[in-house]
Amino acid sequence: MSPQTVIETEALSKVYGQQRALDGVTLHVSRGAIGLLGPNGAGKTTLMKCLLQLQPITTGSARLLGREVGREGREIRKRVGYGPEENCHIPGMAGCEYVTYCAQLSGLPFQAARQRAHEMLDFVGMGQERYRKIETYSTGLKQRAKLAQAIVHDPEIVFLDEPTNGLDPKGQAQILELVQSLWKTYGITVVLSSHLLQDVERVCEQIIIIARGRVLVHDTLENLKARKRGAAEVVVAGRHHELQEACQRRQWPCELLSNGHLKVEHNADSLNPLLNVLRELKLAPLEIIPSPNALEEAFVQALEISHAAA
Amino acid sequence: MPLHDMHYQHWEGVHVGIWARRWVIAKNGLAACLQNKVLRNVVVLCWGAGLGMVAALFIVSQLLVPDSMVVKWVEHLNPALQTFAQFLTSWLHDHPEISVRATQNVFFFYCCTLLTPAGIFALGVAMPLLITRDLAGGAIVIYSSKAVTRGDYLLGKFCTAFGLLGLTCLGPLCAAWFVGNLLAPDWRFFWHARAALGNILIYGLSSMCILSALALGVSAISSKEKTTPFLWFMWWVLGGFIQPIAANTKPWLRHLSFGYNLDQIRLATFRLGNDVKAAQDNIPILGNMLNGIPRKTMQTLNNPTLWGAVAALLLMLAGAAWVIRRRVRPE
Repeated sequence: MSPQTVIETEALSKVYGQQRALDGVTLHVSRGAIGLLGPNGAGKTTLMKCLLQLQPITTGSARLLGREVGREGREIRKRVGYGPEENCHIPGMAGCEYVTYCAQLSGLPFQAARQRAHEMLDFVGMGQERYRKIETYSTGLKQRAKLAQAIVHDPEIVFLDEPTNGLDPKGQAQILELVQSLWKTYGITVVLSSHLLQDVERVCEQIIIIARGRVLVHDTLENLKARKRGAAEVVVAGRHHELQEACQRRQWPCELLSNGHLKVEHNADSLNPLLNVLRELKLAPLEIIPSPNALEEAFVQALEISHAAA
Repeated sequence: MPLHDMHYQHWEGVHVGIWARRWVIAKNGLAACLQNKVLRNVVVLCWGAGLGMVAALFIVSQLLVPDSMVVKWVEHLNPALQTFAQFLTSWLHDHPEISVRATQNVFFFYCCTLLTPAGIFALGVAMPLLITRDLAGGAIVIYSSKAVTRGDYLLGKFCTAFGLLGLTCLGPLCAAWFVGNLLAPDWRFFWHARAALGNILIYGLSSMCILSALALGVSAISSKEKTTPFLWFMWWVLGGFIQPIAANTKPWLRHLSFGYNLDQIRLATFRLGNDVKAAQDNIPILGNMLNGIPRKTMQTLNNPTLWGAVAALLLMLAGAAWVIRRRVRPE
């Protein structure tokens, strides 16, 4: 395991009764902002919980920050932060008491814990509300408190499970900006779990797409965006057959879709060969829709797998 | 441009050890308990009772001081009580090693009998603050994601319950023993009363451990704040009702009551039969009075059903452990 590798899993599986939540997940993830993307029920939260030892692993193995998961729980969690999806708080405490207490549980002495709690509450943009009981918080404040408690002990890696759930667009933007800064500015590895492609695209450099407990894709955002299947949908007013024949002569598979678009697999990095054909035919297209990049395709595939299973 | 000022600094201090983290859990739980007005009043009442114990011990010990106000007051009592007080005085004077031991043993036995229900009541009030609220708020996930294990969490909560019992039972008893003997006219009282202190500690610590573990089990049964105190008080009260009814029909049923089982442990620890015999042998007037104790009561004093109580409590503890294992996990 290289020093840059933070998460390493080998054939990791988690089974709940008859349901297989994780199915042979093998990953080698290096430091950075990592997006864990997938539809609801894909296994993102289970993967996080297994890595944090909140759930026992059924089969396989996992290492987090170079330590064996399941053996060195306290030591691992001292260096890890977690912001759960569900509302988890310790009732009866004000926000600042709660974050201070969480810092103490992570091993900070009281004075340092109190000071850092206030710093982190400032960091997440919480004002005087910190002195109110946490049960009285709005969803946005609860999300901020969750983020503050996850980073209060200065972890090396922080797992955030759907941190923008229930927030308005402004709140979402603020939280994502904070999350982004954790890696870009402060060097804290972030694992952001979300079912929203745009959230992950905005913040993360590495993407892991999960569906039905299996990893579909694990690559950098840059690679995934650059990787396109040489295909496009062409919208023409008529003369579909002429275009189809011209494509077949060049051995490009093409298909007339139910919406009248012609899907052409031209197998090239750019649309130029397709445009040349249209020029030869003197055919003016109404629209040319390039194929989605690999990230979008994989995400759509994950959604389809999930829907098919449902 | 950022939406608000961001400022994050890395922390480079030294982490505290695991025992400090467990202590944080216990201290936080105890602080939450003491924020409850009812619990604060119970604690104050228990320490008030402790003061009463000190006063009683002071009065007994002052019988040995010839010019003390207590002796003068005794002289004004009716003849029967005066004779009894004089015998007690001479017994204390002639055989302090037996008399102080026996007197304080009996005295603290009844003090334990008085304060144990206060502790049980306090645990009932504190029930939601132990595990129930954490289950309701999903706090178990937060604890489990920090540098503590489930065992550390439970140990912390156990110490909270233990601390609460310490404040309501063991603390006042030990303080009363210490101050009561400190105010005695002779330093040897400390030495002669050592058996009473030993019994207080043996019974106090064992009952506190048992009650704390049982309370954790009941507290983990539900995440509803009204359910767990209700269950605790129902168990306690029903156990109290069953005892006299079952005594003549099915005596083993009495062991369903944790209060009864703790009574048996208390009887076995303090062994009052020995003290009654010592009193009968040394103070004839008291001997005549004690001869009137029914044989059945004496049998109970001399032969408590200790092993039945221990077995029943072990089963209860196993049940509590099972509930905790099932309920206290981050799912």
